[in-house]
Amino acid sequence: MITHPVPAIRTYVLVWVGLIVLLLLTLGSAFIPLGWGNAAINLAIAVAKSLLVIFFYMHLRSAHYVLRIAATAGFFWLAILLGLSLTDFVTRY
Amino acid sequence: MTEAVVVDRQFDDPLQQRKASDLGMWVFLATEILFLGAMFVAYTASRIHHPEAFAIASRLTNLTLGSINTGVLLTSSLMMALSVRSTKLGLRTASIVFLLATAVLGLAFLGIKFTEYYLDWRDHLVPVIDFAHRGPHAGEIETFFYLYFFMTGVHSIHLFIGIVMVLVLAWMAWRRHYSPDYFTPVELGGLYWHLVDIVWIFLYPLLYLVSRT
Repeated sequence: MITHPVPAIRTYVLVWVGLIVLLLLTLGSAFIPLGWGNAAINLAIAVAKSLLVIFFYMHLRSAHYVLRIAATAGFFWLAILLGLSLTDFVTRY
Repeated sequence: MTEAVVVDRQFDDPLQQRKASDLGMWVFLATEILFLGAMFVAYTASRIHHPEAFAIASRLTNLTLGSINTGVLLTSSLMMALSVRSTKLGLRTASIVFLLATAVLGLAFLGIKFTEYYLDWRDHLVPVIDFAHRGPHAGEIETFFYLYFFMTGVHSIHLFIGIVMVLVLAWMAWRRHYSPDYFTPVELGGLYWHLVDIVWIFLYPLLYLVSRT
């Protein structure tokens, strides 16, 4: 039988606590008028939450680099999709 | 106690087979990111052109239910991660319990989501079928709700597939299909579940928190 090194339950629970704290932060920040800052904070917190899930729950922190490249590729092409589309939509009107 | 691990002939050993499965799953997830990403591009383009309308429309969504649902989904991800961990350690009962908890939280999410759809329908916020909002930005607000129903709808379909998948995994775990030597389906199922969770992590601020001040 193979034995696998797995993170402690504590790690998973702490990540969950972090996710919930970030959820409360993003919810609370929405009630403070900051103009475009609200959108920036919301987006930054969403990215932070996603990174927690990706690195700890999806195990990319300890994954082989080939997996990290595959994971990055998805977001890289999404950035191209978003970036090139917006060059049109932002400048057209 | 455990079944012998079947290694397909193109692989040298179980480890190489597992690594290939992981890579295949991540490539699939990359296609999912792009498929779902197109909706986010549509959203961004619309919001850039109609910021006031999106602010008004976002205030019409149900913040309480949306926030609770975010917490429910984040917790389901914890359950899923703990199930993968238990499976790797050969803790069969714990693995099944965590899988069932994941499915229950997934169903709770869908229940809350459909309650929300019902309230939206009652408030006449469903484009095409019954959209009665009037005012200076009515057309653009309707655009927001097109996106709202499409994006949360596609997400709900993914989550429904995830729930069925998790229940099948629980059944297979019950039948002793998984062991520390073979747990690939549970691990890949977990990756899918977490990706669906990440999609919601972005949907939540974009749909519910545009402007609450």
